[in-house]
Amino acid sequence: MRAIKIQKILLFTILSLGAMVYLGPFIFSVIVSFSDNKNLINQPGQIVNSGWTLRNYIYIWKDLPFATWLFNSVVITACQTVTNVFFSALAGFTFAKLEFRGKNLIFGAMLASLMIPGIILIIPKFLIINEFRMINSYPGLILPGMISVVNIFLMKQFFETMPKDLVQAALIDGCNYFQMFWKVFIPNSKPALAAVAIYTFQGTWNEFMWPLIATNTSEMFTLPVGMASLRYELLTDWPAIMAGTILVSIPTLIIFIIFQRYFIQGVASTGGKE
Amino acid sequence: MVKSTLKYLILAFSLALIASCIRDKENTIRFSSWQSSPSEKRLTDSLLHCFSKKYPEYNVKFELIPGNYSEKIQLMLGTHSAPQVFYIKDFVAPSYLRYDVLQPLNEYIDKDTSFDIDDFYPQFLDAFTKNGIIYGIPKDFGCFVLFYNTDMFKAAGINDPPKDWAELEEFSRKLTKDANSDGKIDQYGIVVEPSIDKLMPFVFQNMGSFQDKDGNLTLNTPEFLEALEYYYGLYKKNIATIPTDVSMNNTEEVFGRKRAAMVISGGWFVPQLKDQYTDVNYKVAFLPKGKQMATIAFTVSYSSPKENLLKEESWKLLSYLTGKEGMKVWTSTGIAMPTRKSIAAQLDYINHPEYKYFMGSVDFAKVFQVEYNERWYSITQSAMQAIFYEEADIPQKLKQMEDDMKSLRIKK
Amino acid sequence: MVSGYGLKIKMKRNSSTKKEQQFWAFTFLFFPLMLLAIFVFIPILFSLGISFFNWELMASQQNFLGVNNYIEIFGDKIFYKAMLNTVLYTIGVVPIQTMLALFLAFVMNQKIRGRVFFRTAFYIPAVTSSVVTSIIFVAIYSKEGLLNSILGNFGFAANDWLTNPHTALISIMMLNIWTTSGYFMVSFLAGLQNIPNSLYEAAKLEGASRRQQFWHITVPMVRPVTYFVVVMSLIGCFQVFDQVFVMSDGGPNNATTTMAYYVYQNAFRYFRLGYGAATAIVLAGIIMIVTVIQKKYFPPNPY
Repeated sequence: MRAIKIQKILLFTILSLGAMVYLGPFIFSVIVSFSDNKNLINQPGQIVNSGWTLRNYIYIWKDLPFATWLFNSVVITACQTVTNVFFSALAGFTFAKLEFRGKNLIFGAMLASLMIPGIILIIPKFLIINEFRMINSYPGLILPGMISVVNIFLMKQFFETMPKDLVQAALIDGCNYFQMFWKVFIPNSKPALAAVAIYTFQGTWNEFMWPLIATNTSEMFTLPVGMASLRYELLTDWPAIMAGTILVSIPTLIIFIIFQRYFIQGVASTGGKE
Repeated sequence: MVKSTLKYLILAFSLALIASCIRDKENTIRFSSWQSSPSEKRLTDSLLHCFSKKYPEYNVKFELIPGNYSEKIQLMLGTHSAPQVFYIKDFVAPSYLRYDVLQPLNEYIDKDTSFDIDDFYPQFLDAFTKNGIIYGIPKDFGCFVLFYNTDMFKAAGINDPPKDWAELEEFSRKLTKDANSDGKIDQYGIVVEPSIDKLMPFVFQNMGSFQDKDGNLTLNTPEFLEALEYYYGLYKKNIATIPTDVSMNNTEEVFGRKRAAMVISGGWFVPQLKDQYTDVNYKVAFLPKGKQMATIAFTVSYSSPKENLLKEESWKLLSYLTGKEGMKVWTSTGIAMPTRKSIAAQLDYINHPEYKYFMGSVDFAKVFQVEYNERWYSITQSAMQAIFYEEADIPQKLKQMEDDMKSLRIKK
Repeated sequence: MVSGYGLKIKMKRNSSTKKEQQFWAFTFLFFPLMLLAIFVFIPILFSLGISFFNWELMASQQNFLGVNNYIEIFGDKIFYKAMLNTVLYTIGVVPIQTMLALFLAFVMNQKIRGRVFFRTAFYIPAVTSSVVTSIIFVAIYSKEGLLNSILGNFGFAANDWLTNPHTALISIMMLNIWTTSGYFMVSFLAGLQNIPNSLYEAAKLEGASRRQQFWHITVPMVRPVTYFVVVMSLIGCFQVFDQVFVMSDGGPNNATTTMAYYVYQNAFRYFRLGYGAATAIVLAGIIMIVTVIQKKYFPPNPY
């Protein structure tokens, strides 16, 4: 019994130390972001004593186009999350429950495209969007991310677990296939839709490479691209930069804490299914 | 569930729609530049203010581009979203001029009788001219000169700045010392940098060049090699230092913090010396002479994209900024030297105790342009770093640089 | 008679639904497939096409080069450096990250107070923007930063972690391990919870120690999850970009130039889109070969 207790304490200590390593950098950045002294970034102890201020946050919000970036990020993330949920459900439903010519071919092509690393898409995507004259515009930022094969795949797998009888029953009730999808399948697939929504939200909100390439002017930047540009603009004004990092992180953190269950489920479900 | 999803869908799209409607007014001239100091930004703002006072019918929007300026402008030109008027550095001008993306300005210059294109120093105008077509008007210029710390010179018993390579080395040796004799040198003769732009004046002084008239590289020549060996030799002989060796960011800082008695820098360093390093007593001189007097001049143009709905308006702004009035406002602060002869005469910088060295360099300064893809710069930078940090074999590195750059040649 | 009538109706219905299904399927798939075609399928082929050109953004006409871009790649020292860096990065990150994630999951799977708190703590770096974590770590790694002041207490000399060519890459690797191990921990945690308790009970009865239980039950049972985790982190590591862009710009002297960064650099800094596309294709080829090898020699289920 005693051995088990010691073991428990040991485990708890390991976890606590681990948590400190994982949370420490954030705590550090929170402390720095409230610091009154630009030159102190080395000694957290000294920062704590050096006086607190909200000035950095006010500066970031008022003197920098932070609000614009936030707005852009919200618009892009909202659009992409909604379209991803809708289209991946629709396509997943089609692949799971409908029979049509070329199904295996199309699905096979989609699966094969999953094997292709994303890096080779960047240059052609850029040239295509540029042909449409959409660089540095909302459509250029939103269109390429409106649907993803992974999401379709997830939704297909989910719909396959739902009984085939539902289709028959709906047909007998006189539904057409869209009504069936919308009224029967969608209301019963909340967890899967939530997982897709959360994944897309997280991916889009944090996406860096595409907005970096597809935007030119500060007024079209998203939060991550704007933050990266601040690193060069503010150079060593660490308190202000840290205030920015905290502001960027807060929305994801809130969403994560509210929907934690879905996040964890989502990771677990993709992990088990390879 | 269904209804609320629909609601979000509509909300999201209307947000996007509203957002894309918030656009600039139709006739707004977008103007972009980089900013090398806050005082430069203030000056730009006030110059643009002067313009809108004079021409209230035009709207000008100033879009500052921080970091990687030239890349951003090239991307914007390539993606049809370039501002109407923007800066181009002489350094990168060849990579713009080879494409058909900039607005030829000749017809506007010919029409605008008050503009007087012959007033410009020809070497600066040439930097933005190809086959007789002018794609940019040089707004100002600067060049490398020698800054030296007069207190240190006095302490070492030297009265005048070095006049040639031999004196530069001799004085550097005299000025290098270990004041507290702890075995570590506290004060170096000069601060150098493993960077091609600092090396090039020496190459030009040694009658060398980066490429010949036909565009072939001339790195692997005795003139280039000798210059590089002399330049690196200052460091190797421990009478020069580099910023990283004394944990600093740039050569100017090393000079400002009194760790070196001499530095090669330009006019942009003067305001820094006056604001930040007030306790440094310094003087300016021409770069020491090699086989000939030479230095590098830097010039920046105002240019316009060819794809532009506001051509007349852009010319109005461009010609104001580079016209006699605009240039006088811009250069009378001494932030840079005028590229118009008439303004140079008016401001009389040639008799100014400090500016005369910048203005006087016009006669022998060369504009440094390389007709290779942008990647040439990283290649030379890496090679210079390898020479300084890893003591790489110099002739071999030069040959290797030529080989690496061959495929990057800009085709005519 | 009656039954025959019923059969007829059924057949009729079936054939009409087949056509109906066809119609609805294509209606439903039209928009998603169009988007996928424009932004996934066509780009894959297009990128192959670009790689045979000297593709310049501002030029009105592109020069066909044939395989010259590929030939240039094989003589390009920086490309090799980038490849070496990427391989070092992957070899450094993937095993440590996977083992750390499995270890954390194993510890977390015990009955312990504050599990939800710990899980959240470990997971937060993974949900935070990579730009944000990179910026925070730039501050931590800087010469006067937190890391040096902590190490200073133990008598280590200050090191400028990101501008020292010997430590720059390792610093970015540490950051990556820190960010993603929590994410994979959650994957493992799900895998661990699927292991029936009876297995452990049986092992206990036979007198297996906790360490033996870990190696002989836990590790083999989570093998499918391990496979997934390794594939995901391999793909991620081979394409690392954000951290390099924010923290070091590939420097000092290309010490942190990775393949993805090199692709970006060629395409959007030097505007050599054809060469960039060619390097991207070589990178993609390497990733695909590695995953195939992994699937062949370390399959998710050995049985």
